[in-house]
Amino acid sequence: MSIINSIKKDFTTRTLVLISVAIVINIAVGQLIFTLKLPIYLDSIGTVLVGALAGPWAGALTGALADIIWGLTINPTVFWFFYVAAVIGAMAGIAAKMGVFERSSPRWLSALIGGIFFYGLTLFILSLTSFSREGLIPNAIDLTRQNALVFIIVLFIGLAMGYFFLQKAGYAGFAGLITGVVAAIISAPTAAIVYGGVTGAGTDLLVAAFRASGAGILASTMAQGAVSDPFDKMVSFLIVWLIIQALPARFKAR
Amino acid sequence: MTTSISLYIPGDSGLHRLYPITKLLLALALTLGGFIFPVTWASYVIFLGIILPISIWGGIWKQMVWAVWKIVLPFAISIFLIQGLFWGSGTVLFYIGPLSVEKDGIAFAFASVGRILLVIGSFLMLAMTTRPDLLMNALAKLGIPGAITYIVVTTIQIIPRFQAKAATIIDAQRSRGLKTEGNFLQRARSLTPLVLPLVLSSLVDVEERAIAIEARAFNAPGPKTILIDSVDTQNQRIARYIMVIIIILMIGLRLWWLLTSAN
Repeated sequence: MSIINSIKKDFTTRTLVLISVAIVINIAVGQLIFTLKLPIYLDSIGTVLVGALAGPWAGALTGALADIIWGLTINPTVFWFFYVAAVIGAMAGIAAKMGVFERSSPRWLSALIGGIFFYGLTLFILSLTSFSREGLIPNAIDLTRQNALVFIIVLFIGLAMGYFFLQKAGYAGFAGLITGVVAAIISAPTAAIVYGGVTGAGTDLLVAAFRASGAGILASTMAQGAVSDPFDKMVSFLIVWLIIQALPARFKAR
Repeated sequence: MTTSISLYIPGDSGLHRLYPITKLLLALALTLGGFIFPVTWASYVIFLGIILPISIWGGIWKQMVWAVWKIVLPFAISIFLIQGLFWGSGTVLFYIGPLSVEKDGIAFAFASVGRILLVIGSFLMLAMTTRPDLLMNALAKLGIPGAITYIVVTTIQIIPRFQAKAATIIDAQRSRGLKTEGNFLQRARSLTPLVLPLVLSSLVDVEERAIAIEARAFNAPGPKTILIDSVDTQNQRIARYIMVIIIILMIGLRLWWLLTSAN
């Protein structure tokens, strides 16, 4: 019964109104980014916000309905990704339960998170591309040794990104990264099966690059997601962190 | 009257008058059809042979074909370029400079474009001839919670107002000297001063809206009446049962093929 209770606790009238406003925020911000011509989507800020303010169930519902409504009204292609958006909302809710949106992290920790993320991302891309060429999983230490210079540069970019960009939102940024990785993994099958692995947008160049290096369709799609999704969700979580810090206390108390 | 944003094209054809759930099931059955038949051209046959005639009947085929063209074309170009040029194995059809075009890659691209055509086409057929609020009413009658139908209908109605709000915020910040054009860093830096006011001012609305709908008996228990109802007929009810059976059969057939081909 505890699950039913926790679902009920998430849905008050205010939450329902918040969800519909949040879905519109997703769409409005998504279009704003399009006007600014930035190479990210940022179309899940509202979903993450509901997860943070009203819990994982409300977050999941927001995500799913956002993609369904967006599909019905503006862009039919997003419709089949509704389950990914639901998982993003749920993960934001769980992260919020752990307090990532309220606590400030020391800046060195943010730098460390940025560094580890960039290192992991590079390792992932390199292992994925060499895996399909040689047919065996390469070992992480060998890869690092072979591409030492690349890794040092990447590590420094990551550290700088964490220090100057994430600043005190290290915990939120980290939760966003993990959410992005999960989103990339679970959205790849739909992207590969329904849409042949492409989106018709700029990120398709990445898919082409991975295909050219010999990776399979599913692997290429997943790799493309692994490059763009964690970064996108990290920025989304960062913005929600800023919003939560700026919200009046009365609103948070509910 | 609040304006609302949707793909719906007003009309009075037989397709427009069909009960929303009938059209929903039809779109679902047609979409699944493209994924279940093992031949690559099945989705093209379904699109040209079923979806196109239905949309001609609904009087929306011009808008439908135009929308499908706009959505599917970028996909098609991407798929043929990526899967055609970078497939990496199989029979080579011809060479373009250092790149080779393989038969398997072209076949895969052909099949994928067909599926996208079908997914988008059948969905547009539903969305262009069905008012979203009537679809939600019909779903509510099937037992979907009122909370969900409320969210969908209100969201569709308030999207235009928020787009206006976003435009106002962009103009206001520009008049204060914010650079929303220029190099990448300048554009990225303008993100926070645009997104934060939009989100915070929207959240302030939430409280008022919640009080407003509670004052109008949103939480009242008991049955609720529907202002505009869609007409359902006995024939459509039978057609829906048949479509549900077809959908189940298609999924069953696909699973059976999967299981037998695995052995």
